[in-house]
Amino acid sequence: MNSTLKVLLRELDRIKRHPRYVIILTLGAIFSYVFFLTLMKEGQPEKLPIAIVDSDGSYLSRRLCHEIEATQGVEVVAVYGSHNEARQAMQQQKIYAFLEIPKGTYSELLDFKTPHISLYANNAYLLAGQLSYKTLITISRLASGAVHREILRKKGVSEDKIMATIQPIVIDSHFISNPWANYQPYVLTTVLPGILGLMVALISIYVFSEEQRLRTIGDWMRTADGKLIPAMVGKLLPYTFLFTMLGIVGNIIFFGFENYVLLGSFWSLTLVYVLYIMAIQSMAIVICVLIGDMHMAICVGAIYTTLAFTMAGFSYPVTSMPPALQGFSLIFPLRHYYLTYVDIALYGAGAKQWLMHMLPLIGFIAAFFIAGLIFNRNFKRGKRYRMLHPEINEPQPPTTDTKCD
Amino acid sequence: MRLAKSLQDIFEVFLIEVKRVLSDGGVILIFFIASLLYPLLFGAIYKNEMVRNVPVAVVDQSKSEDSHRFIQKIDATPEVVVRYRCNTMAEAEQLMKERKINGIVFFPQDYSTSLAEGQQAFVSLFCDMSSFLYYRSVYSGVSAAMLDEMEQVQLRRYASAGVTGESAEEQISPIPFEDVKLYSPGGGFTSFLVPGLLVLVVHQTLFLGIGILFGTTREDRKSLELIPQRLRHKSIYRVNLGRALAYLLLYIPVVAVVLFLIPHWFGLPHIGHIGDILLFLLPFMLATIFFCMTVGSFIRHRDSGILCFFFFSILLVFLSGLVWPQSKMPTFWRHFSYLFPSTHGLQGFIRINSMGARLKDVQFEYIFLWVQAGVYFITNWLMTYLENYRHLKRNELREKIRMQIEMRQANKRKSSK
Repeated sequence: MNSTLKVLLRELDRIKRHPRYVIILTLGAIFSYVFFLTLMKEGQPEKLPIAIVDSDGSYLSRRLCHEIEATQGVEVVAVYGSHNEARQAMQQQKIYAFLEIPKGTYSELLDFKTPHISLYANNAYLLAGQLSYKTLITISRLASGAVHREILRKKGVSEDKIMATIQPIVIDSHFISNPWANYQPYVLTTVLPGILGLMVALISIYVFSEEQRLRTIGDWMRTADGKLIPAMVGKLLPYTFLFTMLGIVGNIIFFGFENYVLLGSFWSLTLVYVLYIMAIQSMAIVICVLIGDMHMAICVGAIYTTLAFTMAGFSYPVTSMPPALQGFSLIFPLRHYYLTYVDIALYGAGAKQWLMHMLPLIGFIAAFFIAGLIFNRNFKRGKRYRMLHPEINEPQPPTTDTKCD
Repeated sequence: MRLAKSLQDIFEVFLIEVKRVLSDGGVILIFFIASLLYPLLFGAIYKNEMVRNVPVAVVDQSKSEDSHRFIQKIDATPEVVVRYRCNTMAEAEQLMKERKINGIVFFPQDYSTSLAEGQQAFVSLFCDMSSFLYYRSVYSGVSAAMLDEMEQVQLRRYASAGVTGESAEEQISPIPFEDVKLYSPGGGFTSFLVPGLLVLVVHQTLFLGIGILFGTTREDRKSLELIPQRLRHKSIYRVNLGRALAYLLLYIPVVAVVLFLIPHWFGLPHIGHIGDILLFLLPFMLATIFFCMTVGSFIRHRDSGILCFFFFSILLVFLSGLVWPQSKMPTFWRHFSYLFPSTHGLQGFIRINSMGARLKDVQFEYIFLWVQAGVYFITNWLMTYLENYRHLKRNELREKIRMQIEMRQANKRKSSK
């Protein structure tokens, strides 16, 4: 324990002397928070630009325009005379959808014929395209409903029966723990831990590569009395602390100020957070041990941590991926964090449930100790070698110090 | 003569840089392996395009013929599959908590009687919001079944109101609408997401690779090695151009695979005019390369670039307007996103490649990318110039001090003699 403390103090001293990376990463994390909190302020995009192609120019088309303007989801930014114009506007991304009302729609309607209107939505942008599509469909239904109502009224059907005839079945939707299908809590609660995880993974690998670059491994090991695991734990602890703090501050903002739904306890989520950060650091060490070359390890670490965003399964569910990739998703701590977060925050599930999802995170930390033992054996072999050849044991002067820039 | 000389210099720098790239394992990993690994993985991950057969539970307290038919219709939709039938809501909620289902459909006791009495009948739907794709599938599956069911009920009701036969059918949908979903007819996730991600992969692998190369040169204190001695620290643009040319040529095969072959292999939208895409990609690549080289000027060590700037990859996905629509971003962030070539590159590429736009439709992006290429070339030149200037000064100073020391020593030797 004592040696862990000594390494910890040594690391804190190093950070104090060269605080550059710690400062940059902290600022980066704050920047990410501000970015996501301000970018999606609306929760769901509102007033998406759409257009109407009005070849009819009748009462009906004007009425539809009014209906559309009354909705939150979309906004008519232009009325075009022809289909081609609207299509071009779509390609220039001025609009996300358009409604085409062919010539003679209203007169056909009056003659009890069935005119057709067409609805075009841009699916190359999924969110915007589908949202505007959904709103336009609702409006078309409403327009149909208005026509219905007039017909039924003429038939002498009573007002309360009219509603029951127009819409006999009503679906009453409940969106669990996110009643307005708000994007912000959905994206932020997983992406931001992901970004912090990415940072902590890279800095964990980096501090090892730095020891290598400055040729201070000997000094580091002497501080740790030659014990490898205290040496690594002491070195990583400051970063565990920093990023856990950043994560907790984030969670306080999310659940305290922004009032995202949190059914379970804040402290169990915090516990999971600490374990998540430690699991990521453990994976970083495992990568270091497996690869050996620190420069290569940091590249691999970068690839690994960015893949976590896809493999966590919060945007595209893991259950819809091919089976081999479903297994692959297990090696990403973010995946387990996301599952536990859903259990605790969205469902308020009991400890039995979320502890199950937390177990893999503990597994990652166990992997760290195994990696430590392997590393230790290799290291001791190296030590014996150095004892036999004392000439290479000389501490080399730091040739490149960080001051050189 | 001058032109020939500068071309020769550029070529020389180009060769050195190509050799440097090909002798660095980390850069090869990023440039040629990661850039291909990501697209292949994305293709495999999003292979199924849509989320189908999402399991739901049904709580049927009405236990009637009507509810039965409705449930069968829900089960028949491609989006949803009825996995459990529960007696109570509590039972279904437990299943939801155990994450065995992603939605609950609840039929109240009076469902069938309301329908029979000609009143509105209510059905409750509970959606899992842990992933929005689950919610979309459950919602659209149940809605589709509901519409189908509703039509039949309406037919009956019209009959009782005295409207029958063909005219009743016309009344039910007085204005039928055709919906055309353009550019990704299935509404699939893959066709929407992956083309944009491919552009970002090109952008970010270039960024990482160049960052590593610049960091390594500085770490080895060889930043000036690339400048041929005969330039005497003048005409620095030759160095910048030579380096950029090296990255551009090395990336031609990568771009060919990532942006042309991958969409073909994975059946992603690729209806763009190939000439237009090539013309569009040229300023995109140049802007990206000069942008990366400018940022690279700030990178002092091999790994610090990855450490300090890499988290931006995730932000770029959102900044580029792929997820959150560009027109709905706060103005500040929209302008901020214009700093990165990836924003216009991604927008333009999606529109040409997935939506079949021509070059004139993406005029704004196209011109902007050329402007970016120009501006970042100048900033890059400036950074290199400053670095050289400082280096020169430092060398001069060093030389002066050396001379003074030598003089002093010589004087000492003289006086001691």
